[in-house]
Amino acid sequence: MGLREVLIKHLTLIILIVIYVILWLLREVFPEYSQLIITLLYYITIAQAYNIFLGMTGYVDFGYVSYFGLGLYGMAVAITLSSSSNMSEYIAILLGILLALALANTVAGVVGAIALRLRGAYFAIATIGLSQALRYLIEGAKIWGGAEGVIIASDLRKIFGEERFSYATITLPDTGIFILTVISGLVMYVVRNSRLGYGLLAIREDEDVARVMGISTTLYKFIAFLISASLTSLVGSMWALKITAIYPPESFNIAFSVEFIVIVMLGGAGTVLGPLLGGSLYALSKYYLGTILPGLQLTIFSVLLLVIVLVFRQGIVGELRSLLYRYSFIREVIR
Amino acid sequence: MMNSSKPILRVQDVTKRFGGLVALRKVSLDIFGGEKVAIIGPNGSGKTTLFNVINGVYIPDEGRIFYEDNDITHKPPNERARMGIARAFQIPRPFPGATVRENVAIGALFGRFGHKISLEEALRIADEKLKLVGLYDKRDELAAKLTGPERKMLEFARALAMSPKLLLLDEIMAGMPPGKVDQIVDLIKEISEKEGIAVAVMVEHVIRAVIRYAERVYVLDRGEIVLSGSVDEVMRSPKLREIYLGTRFREV
Repeated sequence: MGLREVLIKHLTLIILIVIYVILWLLREVFPEYSQLIITLLYYITIAQAYNIFLGMTGYVDFGYVSYFGLGLYGMAVAITLSSSSNMSEYIAILLGILLALALANTVAGVVGAIALRLRGAYFAIATIGLSQALRYLIEGAKIWGGAEGVIIASDLRKIFGEERFSYATITLPDTGIFILTVISGLVMYVVRNSRLGYGLLAIREDEDVARVMGISTTLYKFIAFLISASLTSLVGSMWALKITAIYPPESFNIAFSVEFIVIVMLGGAGTVLGPLLGGSLYALSKYYLGTILPGLQLTIFSVLLLVIVLVFRQGIVGELRSLLYRYSFIREVIR
Repeated sequence: MMNSSKPILRVQDVTKRFGGLVALRKVSLDIFGGEKVAIIGPNGSGKTTLFNVINGVYIPDEGRIFYEDNDITHKPPNERARMGIARAFQIPRPFPGATVRENVAIGALFGRFGHKISLEEALRIADEKLKLVGLYDKRDELAAKLTGPERKMLEFARALAMSPKLLLLDEIMAGMPPGKVDQIVDLIKEISEKEGIAVAVMVEHVIRAVIRYAERVYVLDRGEIVLSGSVDEVMRSPKLREIYLGTRFREV
């Protein structure tokens, strides 16, 4: 296969990565929009991570915020520990990443092993209580500072030094989030075009038939679930460095799960480009609606969700693809 | 003929109840490697339940199922599929949001040789099977866009892509135009003889087709095997006319 064929074959991925890089560079050009762009990347990345599970399997997880929250706590706890034992900054960050992954995978492993045996709506119901349970567990049992939360600003100052504090809370996490944006896009693309992706597609379309056709449905759902939770926890670990104060109610807020369900559906569940469009549109409108009509943005989004579910069930990318399906080139690219 | 002397599938005294209803009562049957068997019976006689028990959708209440000498009574459907049991449903159930080609490729990726097959190979196998059933031109369409008969052919192709040793076809000819029925019968004969696949076809109405392709016939009535034997024996049996043709197909 020549270079041209390879480029055409993977054009979707190339477009995706190019847009990500452009977004990242815009941040350098317009420093005043830097945090808006990072917020955009943050939405895109978590949506893409969630897409690997929700979009590919069709399973709605209301507990999804938990993996982000565990990522926040993983990094925060690691920073606190590193600060008190005088570890270097690299070890501290690495420890935070590993702890975020370990916590998210442990909880996702337990939840998945139990709840993924359930179908569709039952799975959704089973996951509703997870984030609340974690929140009250942390508060009630006074784990990780309980309701007081974990404040890491002074620990970061100690580990990184005063002069590198802005590196630790801006440059490092922003770069980390950008890298995760690229990774999540890449993972989604690879999964979609793999044996795992075909299995998940079958599960989403008809799980009973998928089983009759030889797919180990529970295992496949489980793998997608862990990949998804891992990526989200990594975003959480970077986000902790930005916000430097982690509290249970904000970390395990179910509204956050709902927000990402809307984004994935808006962009087009199971599509590679969906989270980019859904995430950008959502983040931008939330940002501007928040200044124009503060407090009303959630009302507007609930109407939006209704419209998506009733009229545009395939989301932006899905509908666009259906509309232009007869053009084989566009069909190959918009997916 | 690739018939072997040992049955590839042995259903032994299988009973399946749904609440008070006995859907299958002490059903026993053997299917030999490469053999073409028809299982006929009126609506509600338990044909689909029998297929569901064979491929693992239901676990029987009593009795055992052996496949290539292994007891598979309690094996889940996905394991049975990988062992070489493929099925096409009575009401076709293609993956609607996947393309025709993807549908068939999934069959190849997870069927008997699935673990050895790459995605590229699976897509190539899909194209090959789609040519066989005449759906190659529609390979990039979403399966949801296909007509009823086309969906049946897609299911057939998808089952073939799994490289089965035992192919269960549930009412594959029902609702097909007459010309197409002959084509399907030829296709079943061809793939069975070429690849040594044992084929069990459930039939309710198209008796003529049964005579053309089947080597052996089982007659199912109200959950019991009431008659079995070669096509000639069964078709000439006065009992068949009595219990089955006698009431429903007097003119045949």
